[in-house]
Amino acid sequence: MSQDANIDDVQEPINSAPAEVRRIIERVWKLEKGRLDKKINSHINDNILDIIKEEVR
Amino acid sequence: MKLTSIKLCNFRSFYGTTPEMLLAGGDVQNTTIIHGNNGSGKTSLLNAFTWVLYEKFSAAFASIEQLVNKRAIAEAQKGQAVECWVEIGWEHEGKRYRVKRACRGYKNEGDFDAGKTQLTMWVGADDGKWNIPTQQPDDIINQILPATLHQYFFFDGERIEEIVRSDKKAEIAEATKIFLGVEVINRSIRHLGDAKKALENELKAIGDSETKQLLRQQEKIERERERITKRQTEIKEELEYQQTFKKETSNRLRELSAAKELQERWQDLESQKTANQEEYKKTKEALKKVISARGYTVLLSETTSQFRGIINDLKQRGELTSGISREFISDLLNSQRCICGAELHEGNHSHTHVSTWLNKAGSSAVEETAIRMIAQVDEIDKQAIGFWEEVDREQTRINQLRQSISQIEGDLDNIQERLRKDANEEISSLQKRLDEIESKIDELNREQGANQQQIAQLTTEIEGLNKQIAKQKLNEDKQTLAQRRIYATQDAIERLTEVRNRQEQQFRLQLEKRVQEIFMEISVTPYIPKISEKYELTLVENTTGIEAPVAASTGENQILSLSFIASIIDKVREWSEKRKMMMIPDSSTFPIVMDSPFGSLDENSRRHIAKTIPQLANQLIVLVTKTQWRGEVEAEMTERIGKEYVLTYYSSKPDCEQDYIELGGERYPLVKQSPNEYEYTEIIAVERNI
Repeated sequence: MSQDANIDDVQEPINSAPAEVRRIIERVWKLEKGRLDKKINSHINDNILDIIKEEVR
Repeated sequence: MKLTSIKLCNFRSFYGTTPEMLLAGGDVQNTTIIHGNNGSGKTSLLNAFTWVLYEKFSAAFASIEQLVNKRAIAEAQKGQAVECWVEIGWEHEGKRYRVKRACRGYKNEGDFDAGKTQLTMWVGADDGKWNIPTQQPDDIINQILPATLHQYFFFDGERIEEIVRSDKKAEIAEATKIFLGVEVINRSIRHLGDAKKALENELKAIGDSETKQLLRQQEKIERERERITKRQTEIKEELEYQQTFKKETSNRLRELSAAKELQERWQDLESQKTANQEEYKKTKEALKKVISARGYTVLLSETTSQFRGIINDLKQRGELTSGISREFISDLLNSQRCICGAELHEGNHSHTHVSTWLNKAGSSAVEETAIRMIAQVDEIDKQAIGFWEEVDREQTRINQLRQSISQIEGDLDNIQERLRKDANEEISSLQKRLDEIESKIDELNREQGANQQQIAQLTTEIEGLNKQIAKQKLNEDKQTLAQRRIYATQDAIERLTEVRNRQEQQFRLQLEKRVQEIFMEISVTPYIPKISEKYELTLVENTTGIEAPVAASTGENQILSLSFIASIIDKVREWSEKRKMMMIPDSSTFPIVMDSPFGSLDENSRRHIAKTIPQLANQLIVLVTKTQWRGEVEAEMTERIGKEYVLTYYSSKPDCEQDYIELGGERYPLVKQSPNEYEYTEIIAVERNI
């Protein structure tokens, strides 16, 4: 298996997701990434809830 | 992240502001070498990077408190501020950044107080201007290169084996997971799970929907109303038909000469009956109007008599005298003359007599109001009498009309009876038919009335149901939305979990393979590096056919750690070039700043590492002593040098031994005698003609 195929394979569940699910994953991922260094994750659940509500209307 | 420059001011051994050190960032010549003897400030320089970016120091960095250059403190006046700062520049994804961390200290009686540090960031725009970003500088730095990963990029080579020491394993495994994006996925999955729970609770709060049942009920009622409405149309048509039929039958009856007279009389009575009924209706209406407009007057009799009682009582007590007002008496007393002509002087008999009336007389204003109210009350009483008279009149009229109608009906009955029993069969049968028509019309009229009422009731019911359905519908929409959201969240969780599994399979194993390749290239031992499922790095041997952990030497561990760092940078760079999303640093460019990197390694290993690291890292900054540098390291790295500096240490020790290093055919001082009582370091750029 080539390297390219491997990477694509890893990302496949996200690439094949419905648009709204994909956007949720990408936005949540970005949010979590920005908070990696914060020990306290206050408000993160509210923010994630907002993302889901914004993407699925 | 590509580091471009560093500049220091009063930071540790660096006195005053240093010249800006530009850092190499070329494709081949990506290495910056900084030469310095022990104590010249190499470790300070390494820590300058971690301090400015993360306010962190390496483990070996002694006396953190003494951050500010001693000479600068000594030369400052008491109470005067001494500034210490580090400023670095870098490029990242086409943008230029500069950050400066400054710390202001104050010299007091006998001691020195260092305040809090302040971090400032500038971001360079294409037009050459530098702007202060709106986001927190710490956040921006962490997005580019998270603090937890800094030990991969800024490290002390002599202590590099700490990465594989058992007490550090968990920490490093954690950092590796962050690096590979596993930690972000884990957190995403966990927090999406929390969000899903919150959504499920919201769904519960919306409650069960009953729309379907309500819709069924509404449909049923609407069908019923439709049926009745249809029946009303039928009745209307039937009534019209019966009326026409009645007219025709009556006409035919009248045409028969024998019945003509009776029929005409009947017709006459019929119109009289209609007229009377009309009158009856009008009188009833008039009666209703009288009651609604003036009926209240008869209910007030008790109140009006109460009012009269109060007035009489007031009069009897002299509080409301009719005739003389207090104002009139006051006028008399003021004019000092009574109406009888008697003079009124204070103290005389007439004056006293008239004065006593002042107490008996009431105020004219109160009296006037009382009089007006009495008139109104009288009017109400009169109206009550008038009301009863009118009601009686209307009632009498109603009774008269009722009697008259019943008289006419009796007469009509008689005529009909005569017609029914008429010898002429045609006449009697026509009359019987008319009777039947009449009763049919009567029946239809009753049904029509009942239906009308029922339709009104059903309409009200439908309206009520409509409101309920609208409310339920709203709930149902909310439910559907909540369910869709839960479903999407669950889907996201499942997909992320699958990505994590695949990533685990691919990235961890590929990383392990790369560590093994690099390690085996450098090390002469037959040991094999392994990355466990927990991302912990270990060294095993397989000589007996069974994998067993190795008690590795410091040197082995150094090689292992460097191999691990090199392979992580190598693999992450490779993966992130292809797919940005799942990688933590948003970049495929990584700097490595290493202090004394070849500590306890043998010649062979030093050569391999000196050869490998510049290839694997995008940018390399190496801090070396003369002995660490010369020989195989110099041979392997010289071609890679883009920038080169020497740290010249000025020793305050009397008669210190001076030292030099020869670079590119030039001699550069490493240690010099300090011209004063302070030790400090200067930075000199090396000019090579390569």
